Amino acid sequence: MAYQLYRNTTLGNSLQESLDELIQTQQITPQLALQVLLQFDKAINMALANRVRNRVNFRGSLNTYRFCDNVWTFVLNDVEFREVTDLVKVDKVKIVACDGKSESTQNKNDKW
Amino acid sequence: MLRQMEPAANPGDSPVELELTVQNVESALYQLYFDPVMERKNVAQKWLTEAQASSQAWQFCWALLGPDKLPEVQFFGASTLHTKISHHWNDLPADQHDSLRMQLLSHVLHFSSGPKMVLTRLCVALASMALNLIPQVWPQPVADMVRAFQPLKPDSEGASEAPRDPQAHCLALLELLTVLPEEFQSGRLAQARRTQLKGALVGEWAVVCPLLRQLLQSQDSSNQAKEKVLRCLSSWVGLDVPLGESHELVQDCFSALSNPELFDTAVETIVSAISQPDSQRYIDALVTLTPLVLGLHDQLKRAAQDGDMETSHGICRIAVAMGETHSRVLLEQVEHWQEYLALVNMILFCTGIAGHYPVSETSSSLTLTFWYTLQDDILSFEEDKQAVYLQVYRPVYFQLVDVLLHKSHYPSEEEYASWSPDDKEQFRIYRVDISDTLMYVYEMLGAELLSSLYDRLGRQLMDPQQSAVWQDTEALLFGFQSIAETIDVNYSDVIPGLIGLIPRINISNVMLADTVMYTIGSLAEWLADHPVMIAGILPMVLQGLGKPELSVSSVSTLKRICRECRHDLAPYAPDILTTSQDVLVKEIHKSSQCMWLMQALGFLLSALPVEEILGRLHSLITPHVQRLDTLAQQEPDPTNKQSIIHILGMLSSLFTTLDINRQADSLEGASSPRLTPTQSMQNPVVVVLQQVFTLIQNIFSKWLDDSDVVEAVCGVFEKSVRTLLHDFGPMVAQLSEMLGQIFCAFPQASALDLARQMVHIFAGEEHHIANIKSLIEVLTSATLTIFQQGPRDHPDIAESFMNLHAQILKRKPDMYLSDQLDVKRLFYSGILSLKFPETATVKAATLFFTELLPRCKDMPLLGEVLQEDGKLLTETLLQAVGGESPRSLSEHFSEVLLSLNRHCPALLSQWLKEALQVPGFPSAQVSAEQKHTFRQQLLREQTHKRRVKDIVKEFSLLCRGLQGSGYSDF
Repeated sequence: MAYQLYRNTTLGNSLQESLDELIQTQQITPQLALQVLLQFDKAINMALANRVRNRVNFRGSLNTYRFCDNVWTFVLNDVEFREVTDLVKVDKVKIVACDGKSESTQNKNDKW
Repeated sequence: MLRQMEPAANPGDSPVELELTVQNVESALYQLYFDPVMERKNVAQKWLTEAQASSQAWQFCWALLGPDKLPEVQFFGASTLHTKISHHWNDLPADQHDSLRMQLLSHVLHFSSGPKMVLTRLCVALASMALNLIPQVWPQPVADMVRAFQPLKPDSEGASEAPRDPQAHCLALLELLTVLPEEFQSGRLAQARRTQLKGALVGEWAVVCPLLRQLLQSQDSSNQAKEKVLRCLSSWVGLDVPLGESHELVQDCFSALSNPELFDTAVETIVSAISQPDSQRYIDALVTLTPLVLGLHDQLKRAAQDGDMETSHGICRIAVAMGETHSRVLLEQVEHWQEYLALVNMILFCTGIAGHYPVSETSSSLTLTFWYTLQDDILSFEEDKQAVYLQVYRPVYFQLVDVLLHKSHYPSEEEYASWSPDDKEQFRIYRVDISDTLMYVYEMLGAELLSSLYDRLGRQLMDPQQSAVWQDTEALLFGFQSIAETIDVNYSDVIPGLIGLIPRINISNVMLADTVMYTIGSLAEWLADHPVMIAGILPMVLQGLGKPELSVSSVSTLKRICRECRHDLAPYAPDILTTSQDVLVKEIHKSSQCMWLMQALGFLLSALPVEEILGRLHSLITPHVQRLDTLAQQEPDPTNKQSIIHILGMLSSLFTTLDINRQADSLEGASSPRLTPTQSMQNPVVVVLQQVFTLIQNIFSKWLDDSDVVEAVCGVFEKSVRTLLHDFGPMVAQLSEMLGQIFCAFPQASALDLARQMVHIFAGEEHHIANIKSLIEVLTSATLTIFQQGPRDHPDIAESFMNLHAQILKRKPDMYLSDQLDVKRLFYSGILSLKFPETATVKAATLFFTELLPRCKDMPLLGEVLQEDGKLLTETLLQAVGGESPRSLSEHFSEVLLSLNRHCPALLSQWLKEALQVPGFPSAQVSAEQKHTFRQQLLREQTHKRRVKDIVKEFSLLCRGLQGSGYSDF
């Protein structure tokens, strides 16, 4: 199973809107729509793991952290994001992270 | 003989009214496959889907599977059977289960010699049936299946039925056993049922495993059968079958690696068995498997030598899977430490495999995560234990550094030029991965790593022969940069030496020069703590600034230095400014680098003595302002438009970072006797803005209808407001007046955004608020006119307008007391904005209402409007939730509904009742009862946002007919 968290992105939402429409006009079945979404999950997980190497460093003070159901959550205060050319300061940041080495992407040398 | 498919009697007829007979199904299939007319194909497909769903399908599917039918027809029969079993299982009376099972088994046997696609479908159908009946009705499906496929003894009764082919039966059985776990994985099952089924299936492994072993070991088995065995094992591994029970089978898979035909599949199978997360519980099994992995080392070396990439890649994957998945467990097996060290060395061999990634090898990148995992595991041991492991593994990691630096070498220029853009991108990514790995290696080796890099760099640069090879120097600097980029190198004593060495590097090669620049950039924070070293290195950066090929690296490095070290740059300011002005005037850099450069100069100017800033600012911007003035006098055309936007962008960038108050903040508390600049004189940015104000008015008048230019002008002010905050005050009066005028002449969203920014900053300052208030009145009445005329073509204006009023309601609600604001029309414009297809506009409108509703109680005027038009708002929200707007927005609508329920529950109750009692509203898919439940649930919940969100989401799914399909269960 690939992570589903990217469904709530611009790309994921647009896809779901289109699928909704296709289901409502009875051009595809909900089962097929589900398969498309699962394929989307797989593809976006793969692409983000393997094709993106942009790096952003950040530092801040850790307010809370938890590890539940294999999901890490960090809440940070006063965070500075540094990219090569930019520095952005944010009061509060919540980071949700899952292990990039899930079953579907095993052995592909991916990292988060 | 096969009967040919026959076209339907009247192919043009709509088959929808056709009777569900075998013949009609066949005709429809003929249309689907062979009819050239797309429309008929579609009609046929629709009819066939309906036919599959009908109850008659249980009968006609068998007829379609008859031996005289075409494979396409048989396939449809098998596929129909699967659909019935997986989706309409409950239609079938329980007393027919047994006969269905017998029939299916006999058909699988019958089709065991093909066609393959029919066989696979039948196997999937049988697997699906087993999953429906396990464990109560069919407790041991696998044993039954195996029994059914046993070769019959010649004297047994079935022998006379038909000649049997044991080889084909064996393959069919393996197919069936392979699809069983797959069908389980792909099905949608409730959690409890899933757990129950998985337990039952894992129990069946005790039957499957010995069978697979027997087949894999048997001399009689064909390669085809062995390959199927391997695939079958992979399939069961997905169910987390215990490695303790199957490790002997996995061991047998290693022998398959010597068979070239089975190599790839065996690698796949071994890797999936080893990397199964649960396998780490079976330590003994892992310990027995490790020597088998080590046994592949010779094969690996041979393959690497012969350039046999497939083989070396496969073995590398196995070694990495073992090392990476089980590093902690295997490290802990102290009595086997040498074996694990040997495995680590084997992986090191894979990392260092000859050739350039990705052109002549692709294996080394697989190993990088392993090195991270190993160091992470070692460093997580308690101190005493860690010390022992470090003693063993630190030397390996030093070797690894050599290997990684070697692998990160650029090829020769000619070779690199021959690479495709894709290969170059892959190589860049690979180097970033190496860079990450080096950062982790630093955790193991600490400052000693930097010292060793420094020593090597020193030796290389001193030796004229060695320093001629630019790739070596580049790789070493790349190593430095990888570490300095993320790790605080403050306590390393080699950085001063490094900074001394850098100017000795001959940067005639572009790749090397880029890396030199980035290395300097990565040391910017260190330089801020050691400002005396700036003098040694800054000239190199300024020199780089003049070279277009180093544009990105040199400008970004200068920006980092200016950002981090600005308080110590005063002595170098004239040089930096002169060089920058020179490259800007000569137009050496692309537009985006010019923006970065202006931001760098903004940082630089901010930290200069206040009395110096204005003068330097003037000399910096004068040539550009003069150019802008010339451009503003010309007639508008696309070329001067780009130049105008470019210059305005440079001013915006400069004003984003030019912040003299930050300097005052950072000096606060220090013994500096300086006055805060605001007390002593006007902010230099404001002085400049006032000087160019007339010029800007000119640009506005010429480019009024061009949203890009208007946006760029507004950008200059918006960036300044954000940075200057209250210092921007002296600009408010004239800017408000101008904004009002240009908006009335030609409305643009960016003007509304700038106004919102001003409301945000100056809401509390009475002497400015009068100006802003009249601006808001002008903007509002002009926008309401647009709403009256039909706002559909201006979603951006609607969005900015909603955001502006949400801001006003939040920061300065008493502006709504003015009789100049037509609150009723505002309310109505909000309702119109909710209906836009543009997501951002709808969101802004919901924000407007969530800010507005809480104010209704205290503002009678607003209360009245709500009384009158609240019903319309409620109806609009229901319509949006019911299907008019995308489902992803339902969260925002739920917030408005919650707000209504909090602030006027009685009215909302009434409005909901009236709206929902209309049949078919908001959707024909919801019944009166469902609407009633929704209303009840919604009204009951006044506190929890999340619960309201769920209620609205559920209702939205109902209205769209999407509930319970599995598709929307997330």
